[in-house]
Order: sequence, then C-alpha cells, then structure tokens
Amino acid sequence: MKVFPYPRLRGTVSLRVDSARVKAPAQPREQLDSRARSVIERAVALGAAETEDWETAVLTVSATIPSKATDPTGPWSEVVVVAVLTDRTTNTRVTSTLARETEDGRDWCGELQVLRSDIHDRAVLTVQVIATVDGVPGRIVGEAAEDWIVDVRSDVPTREQSFDIKEVGFTKGPRWLQGFSEAPWIVNASGTVPTVHINTDFEGMADVLGAEGRGPEGLVNAMLVSQMAAEVWTAVFHSAIGDLEIEDDGTPLFPHGWQGEVLREMLPDVVPERTLEDALREVHRRRVGATGWTELQPRIQYAAMRRAEVPRVLSETVRGLDKLNREDEA
Amino acid sequence: MTEKPDHLPEYLARLADEEAARFITDGLLSGKDSVPSIALNQATEPLPESPRRRLRAIRDLIDDAMYIHRDERPTQADAWLAPRLHAILRLTRAEAADSALWNYLALGVAPDFVVWRHLSETAKVVNAQYFKGPHYKQAFARLWWSAELFRNGPDYEPVVIACGNQDMLNTGLRLDVVDHRPTAQAMVRLLQRGVIRTGRDANALAKVVNTAAVTVMYDVIAQDVPRDGDAVRMWIDEGEGGLTVHHRPLPTGPAEEPAPESSVELLANNFAELFADAPVRGRRADEEEGG
Amino acid sequence: MEAGEDFGPWLARQLKLADMTQTELALAVDVTRAAVSAWITGRATPRPEAIERIARALNTDLATVHTRTTDTQAGLPVGWYHRPGHADGGRELGNAAAFAFDADVSVLARETCQNSLDERLTANGQPVRVRYTLHELTGEDLARFREVIQWDDLYPHYEAVREQKQKVGRVVDAGLRDMYERDRLVLLRVDDYNAAGLTGDDYDDGRFAAVVRRQLDSHKSGSTAGGSYGLGKATLWATSRLGLVLINSTLSEPHEGRTERRLVGRLDLPWRRVNGEACAGPAWLGRPDPDSPGAGVARSWWADEETVESLHLTRESAEPGTSFLIVGAHDVASLAEETAVPDGDEGEDDDSIQRMHHRLVRALGKNFWAAMTGGGDRLPLLEASVRTLRNGVVVVPEERVDPTVAQPSRTRALKAFLDGTTVERLTETGQVAAVEVPLSLPVQGGGRTSFGEHRAVLLVTHAEDADGKPNRVVTMRGNRMTVRDTAVPGLPLVVNPFQAVLLAGTAAGPQAPFAAEAEEFLRAAEPPEHNKWGQTEELTLTYSTSAYRRINGLTRETNAAIKTLVARPKKGTKQGGGRLAPKLTIGSGKRRRLSAVSMPVLEELDAQVLEGGAWQVIGEIRIPPGGHEWRLVPVAKFDVRSGPRPTIEWAEVAGVNNCQVVDGVLRFSDGARSAAFRGVTDPTTHAVRASLSGLVVELRTGAGELS
Repeated sequence: MKVFPYPRLRGTVSLRVDSARVKAPAQPREQLDSRARSVIERAVALGAAETEDWETAVLTVSATIPSKATDPTGPWSEVVVVAVLTDRTTNTRVTSTLARETEDGRDWCGELQVLRSDIHDRAVLTVQVIATVDGVPGRIVGEAAEDWIVDVRSDVPTREQSFDIKEVGFTKGPRWLQGFSEAPWIVNASGTVPTVHINTDFEGMADVLGAEGRGPEGLVNAMLVSQMAAEVWTAVFHSAIGDLEIEDDGTPLFPHGWQGEVLREMLPDVVPERTLEDALREVHRRRVGATGWTELQPRIQYAAMRRAEVPRVLSETVRGLDKLNREDEA
Repeated sequence: MTEKPDHLPEYLARLADEEAARFITDGLLSGKDSVPSIALNQATEPLPESPRRRLRAIRDLIDDAMYIHRDERPTQADAWLAPRLHAILRLTRAEAADSALWNYLALGVAPDFVVWRHLSETAKVVNAQYFKGPHYKQAFARLWWSAELFRNGPDYEPVVIACGNQDMLNTGLRLDVVDHRPTAQAMVRLLQRGVIRTGRDANALAKVVNTAAVTVMYDVIAQDVPRDGDAVRMWIDEGEGGLTVHHRPLPTGPAEEPAPESSVELLANNFAELFADAPVRGRRADEEEGG
Repeated sequence: MEAGEDFGPWLARQLKLADMTQTELALAVDVTRAAVSAWITGRATPRPEAIERIARALNTDLATVHTRTTDTQAGLPVGWYHRPGHADGGRELGNAAAFAFDADVSVLARETCQNSLDERLTANGQPVRVRYTLHELTGEDLARFREVIQWDDLYPHYEAVREQKQKVGRVVDAGLRDMYERDRLVLLRVDDYNAAGLTGDDYDDGRFAAVVRRQLDSHKSGSTAGGSYGLGKATLWATSRLGLVLINSTLSEPHEGRTERRLVGRLDLPWRRVNGEACAGPAWLGRPDPDSPGAGVARSWWADEETVESLHLTRESAEPGTSFLIVGAHDVASLAEETAVPDGDEGEDDDSIQRMHHRLVRALGKNFWAAMTGGGDRLPLLEASVRTLRNGVVVVPEERVDPTVAQPSRTRALKAFLDGTTVERLTETGQVAAVEVPLSLPVQGGGRTSFGEHRAVLLVTHAEDADGKPNRVVTMRGNRMTVRDTAVPGLPLVVNPFQAVLLAGTAAGPQAPFAAEAEEFLRAAEPPEHNKWGQTEELTLTYSTSAYRRINGLTRETNAAIKTLVARPKKGTKQGGGRLAPKLTIGSGKRRRLSAVSMPVLEELDAQVLEGGAWQVIGEIRIPPGGHEWRLVPVAKFDVRSGPRPTIEWAEVAGVNNCQVVDGVLRFSDGARSAAFRGVTDPTTHAVRASLSGLVVELRTGAGELS
C-alpha cells in the first residue's frame, strides 16, 4: 500500500486514443481506420496502416480526469495532464502535454508523436495528472488506472500476445535443433519470446496437429495439444522465475514483459491463498534457498496443467472414446 | 585463451538467443576457449548488407580500444569505446532493441574483448550475461545504450563522463529515469562538477532521482524538446553512405537539438540538493573509489 | 383596442347564452325586431345609443359590447356539469384508459410531446415548442385556486369516490390527503406553441371533441394525422390524482370567429351518487350550452384574461397551441426508481417537484432527441423545456432539454447528417460514418414487381456512456420517432462500442430516391404501437402479403453495412501449430484471477510526515477467519520509478489494536478479525527526504530468512 506526503486525486483518470495517422516521407499522411483502435482492448495497431514504410505516427489522445482537480478551492493548482508513451525495450519515453478541452476541466486532449524507429514492437501509453501542491511544482497527483498498448507491428489491436510456434524440420533446421531430430517438438523459453519448435520431420506430426473433429484423430489432437501446452507452461514458468531482480532486503520484483504476465497468471495455482507478491517471494525463496524447490515442482505441474486445460481435455477425450466405442458396437 | 575469431564475414548478422546459448560454454566463460566461428556463422540470420554493418570497421575499433588501454584497467576502455562504437554502429533504437545483434557482436565478432573486459579477477570467469543479456549488462549493448542515453544531441562528451564512473553506467543505465534526457544530463553534470565522485555517490544519486521521480514528474518541470526523427535518420543515412569514423577524435552524434540548458540546470540543482541530504554509505570515508 | 369578432355572430351567441329572443331584445332596446335581425345578419350596425341599451339589456358593460373579445356574463355562469347516471342504472368505474396505468411523468412526456409533434404547424418550418411547468401551490395560492375551480361543488364528488374500494378511490384519497394534510397541490402544465390548437366544434368531429368529449380510450383515430390524440391523451388524466385537467387553447383556425382563450375543464371520475343524484362519470367545467336539453351540458367558453390568469392558464403569446393543466399531478413511477436524486436544498419527498422535473427532462431527451436535433438549414422539429415553480416563485429555472446530453452519440450522428459532415469511413473518435442502405419498394396493388429502390441512410458513430447500451441501431422515418431500437447481431466481442441510426423514408433527406414512396410504405408497415415495421393489415391490403419481406431485406442490409464499418475482417493467422496457438496466449487479462487469500492483508494506511522528517503510519489489517496464526512483518520501502525499491528501517513499531509486536513481527490476538499497528520510520535510512517520497508499506511473511 502506498502513501504520499501530499494530496493526490481520488477518482478515475482514464485515457483514450481518438485517432491515429501515419506518415512516410514524400507520401500523404494516412488516417487509420477506427478499426485499428480498440477501446475495449485499449490497443492501437499501427501495423494496420497501408503505408508500409511510415516513419512517424501521430496519436490523438484524450483524457478524462476528476473535475475536482481543477477546482480553485482544492489543493491543486497549475494542473496539467501529460500523455506518456514508453517502450522499455528501446528505453524510449515520449511525453506530450494535453490541452484542456472543457470548462469543467474534466476533458483534456492532445497529440503525441511516435517515431517508428523508436519502438521495437509495443509501447505503453498512459496519462499522468501533474499539479503544483503546497508550492511544490510538478507533483504527480494522478495516473490513468488502465493504460493503452501502441503496437507498431500488429494489424490487430489486441493486448493478447502469443508465444511463438515454429514448424521446422529438425534434421536440417537450425544447428541447435539438429540434436533433437528424434523429438516431435521442443520448447525453448530462453529467447525473447518463448517458442515451440514443431518437428515437421517427425512423421505424422503435422497431420495430428491439424486434425479436428470428434473422431479418433480429433481426440488425439486435443490430447496432444494440451500436453504440449502443459509443457510450454511449465517451461515458461521456470524461465520466468529464473532471473528476477531482487531488492536489497531480498524481495523479488515481478519482471516485465511476458515473464511477469506468466507469473501473475500461474502463481495463484502454485502458491494459493497468498497475495501475488507473497507467492512470488515464496517461490523465489524455495528456488534459491536450501530446501523446498523439489517439493514445489508438483504445484508448478498442477498450475501448468490447469493453464493448459489438461483435466477438461482428458475428460472430454475419455467421453469421446466411450462414444466411439459405443458407435463401433452398434 | 579466447582469441579473436578466425573467420569474420563482411557484414553483421543476427544470432538468436537460443543459438547463442549453445556457444556460451564454460571454456569461453573462463577465458580458455575460443568460439568456433564457422559453426557460429552457420547459425546466424543475415541482416541487410550495408556499409554501416561492416564488421571490419567495428573489429578495428575494438582492437584499437584494447591496444590503447592495454596497460590500464579494462574498465577504463568503456569511456573511450562507448561513443565511438555508437558512432560506427549507426542504429535506430528499434534496431538496437534486438538482442540477436548484440549476441553476434559478443560471440561472433569480439569474444576476446568480452573476456578481456569482463573477466572477474576474483572468480576468474565472465558472467554469461556479458555475452547474452539485458541491454544494461551485455558487453556491447551497455556501451551503445549508454552513448545513446547520455549523449546530448551530437555531443558525446557527457557519455565520456558518465562512462568514467562504472556505477553511473551500471546503475544509471538500468533505471527508466535516464530515458528523459534532461535527467540524464543533470546526473552527468553532477559528476562533472565533482558533486558526485565515487561509485557510492553515483548509486546514492541514482536512488534519490529514482525515488523522487515517483512524486515529481521531471518531464514537466524540466521540459525537453521533441524527438527529432529526421536528425537520427540523416545520421544513419550517412553511415549507409559509407562514412568513415575516425578513432582518435571524439566523434559527432546525430544533429539533434541538445536538451534545453535551463532544464538540465534546474534538475542538476534539484538533484544536488536532494543528494546533499541523502545517506551515502561510507561517504567521506573512502573517496578514491571511482571505478 | 383589440378587434373582437363581428358584431352579428357575437350578438346571436349572447342572445342564446342569455336565453333571450330577438323580439325580447328589440323590446328592451326599443327597436324593431327587423333591426335586431339586421344587426345579427350583419346588414346593419347599431348606433352608439343603441349599443348602450344593448349593454344594459345583456347585463354587461359598454366595453364588452364594443370589443366583443369575450362573452357577456349574461345567462348561466360557468360551472361544472356532471353527466347524469345512465337511465338503465348502469355503472362505470370511470375512464378505463385513464386509470389503467400508474401515473408516470415519463410516459406523460412521451405521449404529450408526440401529440404536439403531430399537431405541429408545418407551413412555417418552425419547430413546435413544448413547455412543461410544474407548479406547487400552498397556503393562500392554493385556497384561491380552489375557489376559482369551484372546489366546493367538486368536493362532494371526491368524498363519494374516495369511499369506493377501487384503485380510483385510493388515488383520490391520497390526492385529497396531500391537499388537506400537507396543504399543497401540484399543477403540471403542458403547453405547446406553433401547434394546431383544439380546433373544431364542441361536439362534432375535430380536435376539440377528440380530446374533450370523446371517450378517452377511442384510439381509433390512431395513425391518421389531425386529431390524433389517441391513447396518449389518457395519460393527461392519469397523471392527475384528482382526475382533473383544465384546458386553454389558442386555435390555428378560428371557431365562432375567435382563436384565443378557448377554455374547458374535464373531470374523470367513476360512477357515484352525490346528493341523491347518480353521476355517470365525466364532468365538464364550462358555460351551460343553451342548445342542450335544459341547458344542462357545459361547453367550452371564451374566457377573459383575468379568468385565464386565475386558472393558471395564461399563455405567453397568441401563437396557436394548447395548454393542459393537470391538477394534482403525481408520479408513481418515480417512487420505484432508486436512482441518484440530483442535489436539492430541501428534503425531497416522494412526489417532489424537483424529482418530477428531472424525470421529465430525462424522458424528453431520451424519446425526442431526434426531433430536437437540427442541422444544416433544417431547424429541429421540436423544442422542449421544463421549469418548476412554487406559488409563482421559480424553484428550478426553465431548462431547455438538450438532446446532446441525453443521447450524445445518436444526436451527433443525426446532426452530422443534417450538417453534411459525415464521412465514409471512421478514423477519428467523434466522426459519423454514413452509408446508403437499399430498400426495394414494391408496387402498390400486389404483385412481385419492384417499384423502385429507396436509399435509406445509415449513420454510425462511437458510443458514449450516456447513450445507454452500445452496439445498437435505432430506426426511424420522417417523424423522427424511434420505431425500433435493436442490438446488432453477430458482432465480434472486441468491436469498438458504437451507436447506429437508420434514417428511412423522408428522414433520409430530400435527395434520397423514392423517399416519399418509402415513407408511405413504412407507415403502412407500422402498427399502432409504432414499435416495429412488419406485416400489417394495411401493408397487405395496399401492397401484397409478401411486401413485409422487403423490410427484412432492409434489416439484413443494415446489419451487414454496420459490420463492414465496425468489425475487422477475420484473418486466418499465418502462425502454425494448428489448435495449439490459441492455448499459448498471455496478456488478455482474462486469466488473471484473485485467489481467495487466507493471510491477513493491509486494508488502510494512514500516514503523515513528522517534524523530524520521519514517516508515521497507522496500518489497519483485515484478518480472514483463522488468519490470526500468521506471523507477519510490516516492511517499509520507498516507491521508485523502476527497479528495486530502497528499504527503510523502522525507528519503532508497536501494536495499536489486537496485535503485539515482538522482534518486529506482528502477533495477532486470538480470533481477531482486524488489527492495527503504528510505525515510525528512521529518517537516517531514507534514500530521499520524506517530502519527495512515496512510502510503500507491506506485510511480509517470515522474518529475515533471506539474505
């Protein structure tokens, strides 16, 4: 729980991207269709632009803040609302001061320029409310509760991210995979994005993976897919827990990116009944400590199985088999 | 003894993380083995061929760095190498965010430099993260990014100062606050003025700035000019055009407008004041520590 | 001086009212009967001395005869006429329609405003203006009003009715108690201007008779324009607890040579027996009609300004239109509503006039946003406002209903269409996309051939919270009333919330092909409830039995057009892995869940910076059942922009409530469900002075196991 030595705004600060346009040198600017933005997912997909080699994008950002902020009798003066775009992978931070739109001081609007070459794939956009409080200028008095994603690659505005799946023949593929030519698949969670390498040289693998329906192939597919997913989730959990930043009192910090997301999603099953922070501390303690790591493995397996929906798929497979058998008998 | 690679192709390439992991062996980390360069180059993915990705120029620079600092502590090479590496390796930030590029530099171009620069004298091994690791750790990424974040427009002088204090480089670089140029420049200015002298000073300053940033938005009280995409673009285009970067004089960076002086001054004064009341472990006791 | 009606007709009516023959007047005025006849037929006018004598004969003053703007008070005075009980002894429980539903000012607003729109004078292109006035009377104002409406004559009727066991009895009883116990009466006046007014004879077909005379449930007049006060008018009486409505109309076409101040009152009560006389139900306030048997029936009269004023029926101008004064207005529906009541200085009771005011404003905005929207060179069809008074003093000032408040998105859409600022494709929030949707019209008289293709206009814009449910399409034709409000089916979940408006028929604008024909077709397809377009008898008779299918076609085309605008085309992801890919996603937020935490958690943190620069905190802890066993350590840190947070040492930590601190560890009392501790930080361990710090306090399990 956090407290500050000056009054902060109560109430919700929210933001919305109202339009996006891109520009390539010597080409007219392109106004993106509103379908490149999703106010539900809170995401902008600049990859939806038809101008392929665009270099700059301009977003129109609007923010709504509690009207108390600009109340002259309140503790805040010289209120400004600032849009902040950050991309951790490129150490980029772009800010833009929004202009007050309405008399009541609730609505603010402005433009923010994004350089294509400054963003790797996804940047995060938020707004902060800044004011002079008790004579101290530049105090942060409020921040948007929910941020937006600005994706310069994707053409679909979504927050969801997928792990990579690569279909490749292991025998003639990348060197490191050649050693696994007997394996139908390999999960690698050491890269930027966890990747499942599917061995197309493994006979029938592609067929089973593509199979659908309620027949035997479909049942095998469902089982295989959930089995693979369980392995992926086990691997990504280990990878995510493996390299944590530690505070001076030994508290592990949630990592950024997919690692943090994986931990937040799986920890409630690994260490139930604890807060997320405490669960992370517990897992980290067991991993680096003398005891308890081996004992924790079943819980990680359990969490991965649940995440991969193995129990549901197995029950359905069993029922499906019964049905197939009955049909054979009939 | 880790040697420079026998085989150097003409241009830079990408070495994916999972591939890179294969070449980071115990022998390499202890500085005993070389990297099998032919096998390594079979595992790479090519990048578009361009003069700015010529390996020869980069390798020459690294050779020079090791030669010039041959009689000094290898840490001293950072301040010399960072601006020059940045000026030779003309990258956009998006390109620099690709870890595969840095993997290739560390394993395919100059593993001998990584061992020379980062072999721990006590443990006698190199931390694997100097070969493949986050931008603030990896041997070349940390230099490039410190030049990118501490340069003041075209002026690399602040980079030289920042890299002269290992803690400023190691701690400062990993903090988000330095992504705001006037903040980064103000921190350098305190080094320049001798307000910050030791590594512990630098760490304490970083902590102060990072903590106060939760309550005060520096971007508002000390405004920066907007990013200038064209200046960076032109600078990179110069590299595409095959421009040679000389090693001896300090090079010139992209012709971006420097951070507004008033903003830098304001923050420098603010930070100095905050630093004055900050507890610094061993302050005054051990002042010769600088590296 | 105001020019009254011609002398002849005026005199004829005065004689009738006074029950005086031409011969009798001739005698009194000392002229021949032929002279009187000449005056009446307009062949001659009386000389001044004759006028003086006429005034005396009619028991009035000279001015009245000169101006002739009002009737003389000769003859029977204005009063209540109660329709006698049926000769067959049949009893009716009063107006079925009026008491069928609960009083609801929202419904009243909808129905009365719709009537006004139907009665709008269209020739001048101006909107019809509707004004609602809530007026609460108390004390002397109330007493005076009661006197003017001849309350003493009415009261025995109410007494008789309140005894009855039916709902009417209870409603009337509540109304009387409100008046006598709380000394108050709420008048709700509905005025329209630039409308037809109650034209026509008192009894024959026409607007007046439709409203005042006909049984209120005669909604047969339904879909045809002119006198279309259908079921709607019943809401006027239903809103009155006393079943009493007074009317003042300014006519757009003269009746009896007059237009202004046509007054009448109507009371709707069930059968009752008063003073031994059976009353059938309705009663009228008016001038006894000398043409009726025994001059017993009351009819409308042309009142003077003073009377109108005393009845609270004064109209603001001579512009045609009607004022309805609902006496004893109440709003049962608002009682069920537990919504936030806007600020009011005085305590608001159940039938608070402020609450009624706000409900009227809301209902008008919701139902008439389209009619109230203008743009380009087109004025809105309707302007509406609400004001609230108490004893003539303003309580809530006149508030013009703003459609952009009630329906911001749809109003924006319609306005953009009228202004001609629509776009083809949505790129910015606030834009309105317009596309044409075809409606293939059948020929009249059957057959499958098409007459032509009407192009309806579909408008799509982003939704706002005030609009209500998003992702809907409302459909309307020329009268700009919402005929349908339906969800658009088959949309992907992540579509940006929108509102769509389909303008068909003449609503699609003058350029739209076959607009008039489409309007006619759609009107035929609209049932009396005005709530859909589909198979109707009229449609079948005028066109064919399959004509309604063309409307299904319009709906299909509309939904398809909306999808094209708002939904992204589905793309097959090029990623391999078949059905594996969907199982390997993160970040959607759907998987995150809060597990039931069994450990105590910090609920509230009360903190301040002390003189010496230390932070002092009081932490309140919520302990789940059985959670008191936990041993937790309060930890203080400073928040940072990124990376590790510096730890701060406590100078002291102590239990305040339900806990003790032993070696920095909290020990909770047995069975405690909440606890509190107090901590003071050691400022020498602060990485930065407290005034620039954000303090984080956490409860952590275990103590010091980690290095």
